[in-house]
Order: sequence, then C-alpha cells, then structure tokens
Amino acid sequence: MDKPLHKHISHHARRIHGHITKYLYERDTIFATIWVFLFIVILGSIPLNLGSLNPIKLSLKDFDFNDLAYSKLGQGKNTDLDNNIKIIDIGQANREELAMMLDKGASYNPKVMALDVLFYAEKDPHQDSLIKETFKRNKNLIAATQLIPSGKEGDTISKAGNYINTASKYAYVNLFTDSFSTIRYHEPFLKDYKGTEYKSFSASIIEAYNQEAYEKFEKKAHHKIIINYSRHENQYLIIPWEDLMMDNVDSAALKGKILLFGYISHNKDDISDKFFTPMNHRWYGKSIPDMPGIVVHANIISMALDGNYVKKLPLWANLLIAVLVCWLHMSFFIRYYLESHIWFHLVAKIAQVASAIFFVWLGIYFFGKYRIKVDLKMSLIVIALAVDVIYFYEAWAVWMNKKFGYKTVFKPHHH
Amino acid sequence: MKKLSFLFLFCSVAVASMAQNNFLLYSFKGNVSVVENSVESKAKVGKPLAANASVKVTAGAAVTLICNEAAMFTFTKPGNYLLSQFGDSCKVSSSSVSANYVKYVWASMTKTSGSTGSNRKAYMNTVGAVSRSINNIWIDPRLDTLNYTGNSAEFPLSWKSYSDAKNFDFSLYTSDNISTPILSNSVGKLKIPIGEISAKMKPGNSYFWTAAVKGEENDELKIINYVTKETYNAVLETIRKQGASFEAPAEQAYRIAFMLEDAHYLSEAYQYYTKAATLDATNVLYRSTLMSFKKDYEIK
Repeated sequence: MDKPLHKHISHHARRIHGHITKYLYERDTIFATIWVFLFIVILGSIPLNLGSLNPIKLSLKDFDFNDLAYSKLGQGKNTDLDNNIKIIDIGQANREELAMMLDKGASYNPKVMALDVLFYAEKDPHQDSLIKETFKRNKNLIAATQLIPSGKEGDTISKAGNYINTASKYAYVNLFTDSFSTIRYHEPFLKDYKGTEYKSFSASIIEAYNQEAYEKFEKKAHHKIIINYSRHENQYLIIPWEDLMMDNVDSAALKGKILLFGYISHNKDDISDKFFTPMNHRWYGKSIPDMPGIVVHANIISMALDGNYVKKLPLWANLLIAVLVCWLHMSFFIRYYLESHIWFHLVAKIAQVASAIFFVWLGIYFFGKYRIKVDLKMSLIVIALAVDVIYFYEAWAVWMNKKFGYKTVFKPHHH
Repeated sequence: MKKLSFLFLFCSVAVASMAQNNFLLYSFKGNVSVVENSVESKAKVGKPLAANASVKVTAGAAVTLICNEAAMFTFTKPGNYLLSQFGDSCKVSSSSVSANYVKYVWASMTKTSGSTGSNRKAYMNTVGAVSRSINNIWIDPRLDTLNYTGNSAEFPLSWKSYSDAKNFDFSLYTSDNISTPILSNSVGKLKIPIGEISAKMKPGNSYFWTAAVKGEENDELKIINYVTKETYNAVLETIRKQGASFEAPAEQAYRIAFMLEDAHYLSEAYQYYTKAATLDATNVLYRSTLMSFKKDYEIK
C-alpha cells in the first residue's frame, strides 16, 4: 500500500535534512568554511585592481539586487500621490519667467518654495534684477547652490551657481556621486575645515516644512543616508508652469504645501538634470537616466516626511549570515563530494542557482517588507567559492594528515 | 456572540460597499470642465473630485485623473464622463513583490532573447535617424480607398505599429465631419474586422477611418466607400463581360478577383481569389496569389 503524501514529504525532508547536516559538525566542514573566508581576505588584499579588465566586475560595480524590487517587481508602484509636495515644471523658462512663476506660486501661499536652478553668471540685466527682487521678496524661498570642494582633503568649500544672491536661504544641490552612477545615498549635511555646516536642498526644505520630521532626519542622516525611493515621477502632482501662470491650478492643492520648482524632461532623449536611480526600468548594464533631479529631491523629502527610512544591516550581521550560509553549503557539498561524487558537480550547480534565487528573494523581501537592507553579496560570493575551495581544502587536509596526523574525512587521491 | 459577529461582518461589508472612490484631477490640456452638484466649473490641476462629479472633455482636449491617489487614467475622447462609472479604473495591481519575483525569475529563465536574425520584431525596431513626426502607425497605401459592399464581415482593416504599443484607437468618421468620430473603438490587435464597424455605416456613403497608438493621434485618414448593391453589381457585370469566350471558371474567377482588387473591392476580390484557388487547386499561381493577398491584408 502506498504511503500517504505527508509521509512522503516528511521522508524527503528528513533525507534532505540528513544531506545537509551529516557533515555539519565535522572539523573539515568548519575548516573548509574558514578557508573560504581566508580566500576572500587574501584575494581582497592584493593591492592590484585585478578586475580592471573584467567586464563582469566592471558592469556589476553599480549593481544592487534590491534595484530589482523597484524596477521589475512593482515596489513603490502603488504608493499614494504625495500630497505634501507639488512640483512646478519650469520647462525652458528664462530668468524673467522664473521670477514671474515664483511670484505666482507665492500667491497660492505654499509653506515652502524651493527653486532647483543654478545661476552661474549675469545675463540680461532686466531679467536679473527682476529675479533678484523676487528672491528678496519671498522669504519662504530656498534657492539652490553648488558646493565646490577644494584643498587636499576637499574640506575647503566654496559656492557656485548663486549669482542671484538675494534669497534668504541657500542650500546645496550636490548629489555626491558621478553622473553615471545610481543615486542611492544622500549626504544631507557637510562640514568644511572650519566646522561650518552646509545643508542640502532637501534637508533645508524638510527643516522649513516640518520641524519634527527634520529633527528625526537630522539624527538618522547625520553622515550618509540610503534614499528610500517610494515614488516615480507621476506619483507627484507635476504642474506645467504655463498652467500655474494661467490659474489652472486648484489653490487648495498648493496652500501650505511644499512647492518645488524644477525641470522635468518629458523627452527620453533629453537627459539634462536626469539621474540613474534604483527605479530605472533597466536595472543592470547600460541604460539612460530615468529620474529628474527635482524628483530625486522630492523622494528624499517624502522619505523624511513619511518617516520611511531604510535601515542597513551592520557589517557584522551581513558577515554572520555569510558564514552561516557558507557553513550549510559546505556541509551539503562535502556530503556529495565524498559519498556521491558522480553527482557532485550537478548538485552543486543546482544548489548554487537555487540558493542564489532564494537569497536574492530574501534580500528583496526584507527590503520591501521591513525596509532593511541586507547585503547578501557576500553570501552569494561564498556559495560560488565553496565548490572550488573544497578541492583546495582536500589537498590541504590530506597534506596536513600526512605531515601532522591531522584527522580528516578526505582520503588521499580521492579526486 | 455569533449574532454579534454576523452584525459586525454585515456592517463591515456595508461600509466597504458604500466607500466611494476619490478622484484628483492630475493634468489636462484643452477645454475641460468639471460638473459637481450640477455646477459646471473650469478644470483645475490638483482639484479633488467626488465620485458623483463628471468631467466634460471637448474635441482635442484630454484629462488625466488619479483615483484614490494611486490609479491613473486618461480621457482623450470628447464626451461627458460620469466618474462613478469608472470605479474599475481605481483598481491597482495587488500582487506582492514576492509573487512578482517568482514570475520574473520564471520568465527570465524560460525566455530566450534570440538573435537579430531569429527575432526581427524585437531587434529591427531600432532606427538610426531622427524623426520629424510622431506618427507610430503605418497603414498600407493599398488600403487608401476601400469599396465595401457589406458582403464580408471578416475582411480586416489593418495597420502596422512602429512602437511596442499594445492598445490602439480605431476611429471612424463621416466624410463631412472629421473632428468627431462616429465610432471609437479600443483595439488590442493591429486590425479590426470591417464587420465590427459596418453597423455604423450606410450604403451609398463615404467614410474616413484611422488608427493610432492609444493616447496618440494619427492624422492620416483612409477612405471607405460603402457602395450599394446596385453599384457593385454594375461593376461586376462590366468586369464579367470583359472576359474571353473560352475562359475556364477558375480563370474567370482569378481575372475577376484581380480586377476587383484593382477597383478597390478588396473583400470581394478575396472571395474570387479563394474561388479560383478552390476551382483549380493545382494552379500554383492562384494559390500563391491568394496567400500573398491574405498576407498583405492580414487575413487569417
């Protein structure tokens, strides 16, 4: 008579459990695990960039599995429209038009206005004087500036882009990454050698809009913060400046809110003030920038106002996970290596692929559900290295056995 | 206790069913107005709208709304839209990230990208030139004028798309009014059977049709002449008389088909090409012409 299904399942579960745990507490499993990490340390200590011509390493330099959650798995797709932030698309407006739209925006009584535009030098005197007056008049306006670090340590800071210098508050719009990298982190505060602190554009807006959220933001983001992207461009109310000027906007939508003035490019070929973010539809390899700078700032502000921060697991925890993962895999691999060697490579490859899929999911799950960023790259590396290290370890253990009587489950010339 | 539980469940269901969707006017262009509590006002960006409001869209205008702060949809056709009828558009995909991950991994593992030669549709769409037009639709010039008799409902009006669009707008206009279509259909395929639009046409009249990628416009209009039976019979009789006296039935059918195609009676030509290929199944010319005709006009 056939066994019932649950007995079949429990039988196979016991079998797999036996395959994994049979060699778990063997000295060889533990030492082979240690050797995997020694290899990583040794390879990592070579003071040469061995990956300088390695296309895989180069293409994965800016790679994060969590990006998959944003770009392909619908993370943030259903996030509500942010009601605190409204964006005015300034299009190709000149300084005079900018002055007019700032004054028009101010007439809707927003709590904070912020202009994401840099003015490097003088232009038409008529237009310059108009915008200078507008800057002076609107005390709730935060204007953009660019910080230029210089000196050996880069801690001598000068400002640029603030030729129109009459605003009551300026904040830096630097994103501290090269324009080809994904914008994942933000440094909201920066100190120069004298200890003068500079605030970022988003930090200044948060401070002016919600003091409570700012205090929390200040604590969380004192050095560097992971940006939790929660919204695409269309999850903010974006108002073309022509609509603002023609009073085509509901006044209640802007009153008491944050009004961001910035450039939104509607042409995918126009990449001015556009950046790569984890929300890019193409999450690896070559792509085109996906998010306007003003929307990146808006996402940082949304994160602070929603208190929706990403927690990063400390290095020791990531290492501990990698050690556990390596240990379990090593035990499993050694069992097949010694007892069913003919199947070893096939099983090892299947286990590596299955583990990679599982651990990537685990990382994405923790990130999506609990906003905890677990760096599982190390775990994936040790799984890949484990198979090769077994061969090295076998030779080492047999040599140690001959030389010092080291007890090992490996026999000479096993392979 | 059991009664209390039922009461609680009943109340929850009642509250859920009474919950109304909230809309927000996200953007608009052209002449759009909003009617709330019988008061009509000009559309304004950022204006919240209740489910009992309606939106009036005039020709050439468009409006985008967000329902419950999450689901976005657009009206591009002129008309008066009562928002309570668009509850379906408020639904957002609720599949979890984990479920999407399983689907993504499975799709990635089972899908082959293929090479340029093997997958022309995927790789031949990248062009090395600038565009001076945003028309993503190409309609075969052979469909410029179509004389239709109402005989065949299956003959398709087809087009090709240069974009990856999945949905298209088919519009039918009368010859004296090309601003307001008498029929607007959303189509998931690159063709529409003529039978689906014939109810809107009357014999003896001419109509214009066009197809565009959903949300876009296409100014290129094609003509359909809905000819009367009498006109068609007269044309057919003229064609019949032009044949030689020793013409075999298959030959005659093939000739009539060719001449009908030349006279833009495409669905009728198809019937005669089929007849010729059936009457003389061994004739390679008849068979290959029929196959080419079916391919050219997307007849399946």
